[in-house]
Amino acid sequence: MGMGKDIFEITVNGLKLVVIFLMMVQAVPILVWLERRGSAFIQNRLGPNRVGPLGLMQLLADAVKFLTKENFVPDTAKPLLYYAAPVFALIPGAVAFSAIPMSTPIQIGVFEMFGQSWGPYTFLVQGYDIGVGIVFILGVSSLAAYTLLMAGWGSGNKYSLMGALRASAQTISYELALGLSIVGVIMMYGTFNLTDMTMMQQGPLNFSFMGYTVSSPYLPNWGIFFQPLAALLFFTTTFAESNRLPFDLAEGESELVAGFHTEYGGFKFNMFFIGEYGHMMIASGLMALFFFGGFGIPFVSVVELQEWAAGVTATATGASALVAGLHFLSFMVKFSFFLWVFIWVRWTLPRFRYDQLMDFGWKTLLPWALANTILTAFIIYAASL
Amino acid sequence: MTADAFLFWFLAIVTLVSGLSVILNSNPIYSALCLAMTMVGVSALFVTLNAYFIAGVQLIVYAGAVMVLFVMVIMLFDLKKDLQTFARGMFTGGVKLASVGLIAGLVVGAIKSAELFTEKVADNPVTTGNGMESTKALGQILFTKYIFGFEALGVLLLVIAVGAVALARSKGGTHEQ
Repeated sequence: MGMGKDIFEITVNGLKLVVIFLMMVQAVPILVWLERRGSAFIQNRLGPNRVGPLGLMQLLADAVKFLTKENFVPDTAKPLLYYAAPVFALIPGAVAFSAIPMSTPIQIGVFEMFGQSWGPYTFLVQGYDIGVGIVFILGVSSLAAYTLLMAGWGSGNKYSLMGALRASAQTISYELALGLSIVGVIMMYGTFNLTDMTMMQQGPLNFSFMGYTVSSPYLPNWGIFFQPLAALLFFTTTFAESNRLPFDLAEGESELVAGFHTEYGGFKFNMFFIGEYGHMMIASGLMALFFFGGFGIPFVSVVELQEWAAGVTATATGASALVAGLHFLSFMVKFSFFLWVFIWVRWTLPRFRYDQLMDFGWKTLLPWALANTILTAFIIYAASL
Repeated sequence: MTADAFLFWFLAIVTLVSGLSVILNSNPIYSALCLAMTMVGVSALFVTLNAYFIAGVQLIVYAGAVMVLFVMVIMLFDLKKDLQTFARGMFTGGVKLASVGLIAGLVVGAIKSAELFTEKVADNPVTTGNGMESTKALGQILFTKYIFGFEALGVLLLVIAVGAVALARSKGGTHEQ
């Protein structure tokens, strides 16, 4: 897993990491706008519509406000933890998001530049490919709870501390159900690699069970038709992992002022915000990859698309770029849909009470996830007979 | 120095320094944070050894476990008297020193007598493949060849869980009045 074999490949791979990070950060203002306008739409209001067309310039005004606010540290805070927490809040989201494959690789043939021959290269449309993508993403994003604890403890405020304790208890409880809910998916596809998993979801619905082959030309071969319960459990637990309503007890305004980020203002608050949206993006990306065919286009397999692109474009490089672009678009449609569901749910459901949250996690989600795992194991064994 | 060697020395130093600060810090909160840092460092070292699955599991299991420790520190320790909580008289100090010596002796003994109990494996499952193959090999070897050790560890964890509940229910704990 190196950066590349010559200076061109290393540069492109390095730039790719920067672009993916910026993509994550830049998506946040758009999502904030969508969230505010969407919530207004759901609640029959207008939302921010004064600054610029459709209120789009509100984002810039907000950014200026965030950056020019007074830097404030409470007297009782522990400065090291207080300042470190928002910085660390960005890291897990960014690192995990870079491991999500967003399209098929772009293959670049041999070409001339600066009087030298370069290539051929293969560039993946993701930050880096780690063989065990799922385990890596889950492991890294589980570190995010530390930032909440650091913020809560470092602020030296009882509301912050209560919020942080709630957040950690919630994360620990729901991580079990989150991990177990995708064990069924991993067993079914037999791989940890997200790209391989996507490749297995191409074409129309097709599977064989106990000697019978079932296929349906009207449904795509997506994971949701094989693991519907896992999809539901996974999506529910990711809401808890990203501290979004109905699981945002860590910042329950009615009882804790603003929870773990009570003492944070300006850009420091904004970094927590970006971290939260980063988790939403990881969850949406994983949802698309596990259960909705990833970057695949429904009913069209990657090979078919490559053959079509080879006929349309002149060079092999152009063909692979066209295929990658179309797959990227397909991924973005699914990705945006799940991001919208996150916003939709936030403005639809009320917050859980704390005991309801714990009961739901331990007595409902965990047993169902376990049952799903065992059932999947039996079915896979029966199908292999 | 190659990039791999640089990475190894960098990660080794980070891991060791944060590991040392776990025991040298008198504030249990910072100790717990440094422990989490140590776990992340060990996980990164596993990545440099191409053991991606173990690296991921190290993050999920151990980093999560340290989080529980962190919460316990906040909820159970009286942080205003943290120094007294850690250094309470000659007798407990002696017990602590003795147990540390015992553990150190066990570790040294295990390393010294490693050749007696284990054989060198040529086809190390962790390094054979990248991702699923090595994970599969690891799972198979864990449930066949090393099944006894695996089950014994499970029993040990059960004993620890029961012990933790028993300790938590007994009066006193760290808040001895």
